[in-house]
Amino acid sequence: MSNIKEYLINDHRSCDHLFTKMEDQANVSLVDAKEITEAFIRDMERHFQREERVMFPEFETKTGMVNGPTEMMRQEHMQMRNLMQQLLEAIDNENKDKFFGLSETLMILLQQHNMKEEQMLYTMAQQHLGSEADRIVEMMDALVVE
Amino acid sequence: MDFNGLSLDQAPPISAPLRFFITAPVFGFFAALFLFFSDPAVLVNRFSIEAIVATHLITIGIFGFVMMGALTQMLPVLAGAKIFAVKRSALVGYLLLLFGVVSMVFGLMLNSSIVLWIAVGLLGSGFFLLISLMLFAIKGVTYFTPSIFGMMVSLFFAFSIVGMGLYLLYGYASGDMSSFHVLIANIHSVWAVFGFCGILIVGVAFQVLPMFYVAPKFKQFFEQRVVLLIGFGLLLWSVLILFVPKYLLFAKLWVATLFFAFAITVWFNLNKRKRSISDITIWYWRSAVLFLLSGTVVWIFASFYEGVSITLVALLIGGGFIMSVMQGMLYKIVPFLVWFHLNALGYMTIPTMNEMINKKVARVQFMLFITALFLFVVSFFVPWIFKVAALTFMISMAILEYNLFLAARIYRRTKKSKPDFDMSAFTTQ
Repeated sequence: MSNIKEYLINDHRSCDHLFTKMEDQANVSLVDAKEITEAFIRDMERHFQREERVMFPEFETKTGMVNGPTEMMRQEHMQMRNLMQQLLEAIDNENKDKFFGLSETLMILLQQHNMKEEQMLYTMAQQHLGSEADRIVEMMDALVVE
Repeated sequence: MDFNGLSLDQAPPISAPLRFFITAPVFGFFAALFLFFSDPAVLVNRFSIEAIVATHLITIGIFGFVMMGALTQMLPVLAGAKIFAVKRSALVGYLLLLFGVVSMVFGLMLNSSIVLWIAVGLLGSGFFLLISLMLFAIKGVTYFTPSIFGMMVSLFFAFSIVGMGLYLLYGYASGDMSSFHVLIANIHSVWAVFGFCGILIVGVAFQVLPMFYVAPKFKQFFEQRVVLLIGFGLLLWSVLILFVPKYLLFAKLWVATLFFAFAITVWFNLNKRKRSISDITIWYWRSAVLFLLSGTVVWIFASFYEGVSITLVALLIGGGFIMSVMQGMLYKIVPFLVWFHLNALGYMTIPTMNEMINKKVARVQFMLFITALFLFVVSFFVPWIFKVAALTFMISMAILEYNLFLAARIYRRTKKSKPDFDMSAFTTQ
């Protein structure tokens, strides 16, 4: 039996892990951190889309809440996408200070976002969509990033 | 189901918390100035007017202001707890407290009962207003985390210490010191340090250490029980001091052990953090741990040796532990708030957090703060050092204010320009 909450929380932890690896690498050499930064952004994007294209619509259909918590999460995703884009620009400009300033901001934003999802939204999602968890997790797993 | 936890306008307006944060170091500066012109021999007596004034410039001026600001920000964001009319309440509470502290200081120094009565009114209404609104907001929280629980318990202690504080201040205002005065003052100070500040820091640490540093979460037992255990220990301590003071040591050991364990846990969790980047805020957490460890040990020792001054305990725990955590968190929160609110207004090219506060200046500020504390400790044995300590502390507070003020100014300056909305979503692919 799959669990939506656990599945998405695992995503968070693996992104956190990549984030710390990215910072470590950037601390040694910013230019060499490009690859891992791209990997981090790729994983984040996949996680965002798992939510935005699969879990959120299911949640909205089931609960009828369209402009509620999911909409707020989408907005925060946009904020983070913007910051991640700037991370790459900082690498291209070889601006280490900028990079770490951005990563610091992203970290707080990201963790605050994760906390809200893990403590509230995922718990609600699991409650409402628990019976269809197998199907939803399978769809998230099979998702091809656009 | 209640979805209050997630709404679009969760974060309170930036002015609500920032006003408190920016004011706190100013009180620190004046506390240092006051200390500089005071006689250390008088200050050692904790019941001297000078000691009470200096203490409250720091405890209300810094601790109270930072805590109220932090709770105004954290309750809505981390708990979804909506504070009633947050913008107006925070402003009114702020003004009441601001003038409350000032009138308390002048009332005590001038020995003016009218001014002291004004202080009772202002501080009482300011604190009770904010604390009640916060507790009321917590009542509506659906998803209760250990952090929120810590904030709630800490607010209950805050409520009680304000009540006791007003009673004590009333004693000075009316010139009517009851036989309870010293006893209430004892409970007031221990609850303030361990109940209000201590428990709040424990609760906040559960959330911010994993959040800022990707440190491991605290053990479940710790998260779920420690706040209750500390609260119980403090109640036990109060019952003992009231009725069977000879067993007081048991309760002291109880409370001290829990904080000792907390300090050790924070230290090791920071060692195990996944983010290896070390910044000024980590230094501050480290110094907080060391001061808390030494402070609790001295607190216990003070039970055995008459010569150990309780002022030293206050210095280590209040000055060292509590102030370290607060300064560390201010260095994180203030630039983040500036970034967050500007971003929400549509500004995309905002200075990063690192560009808002100069790292080197922050490091100098940290060094001066730690040096000041060491010098204060040394001054217990070498009195002439005291003025040097006060001066160092004053400079460190001035730099802290400078650092936070510069970050806050970026918000103002950027807001005067036009936002550069990100239009990429509207461009054709």
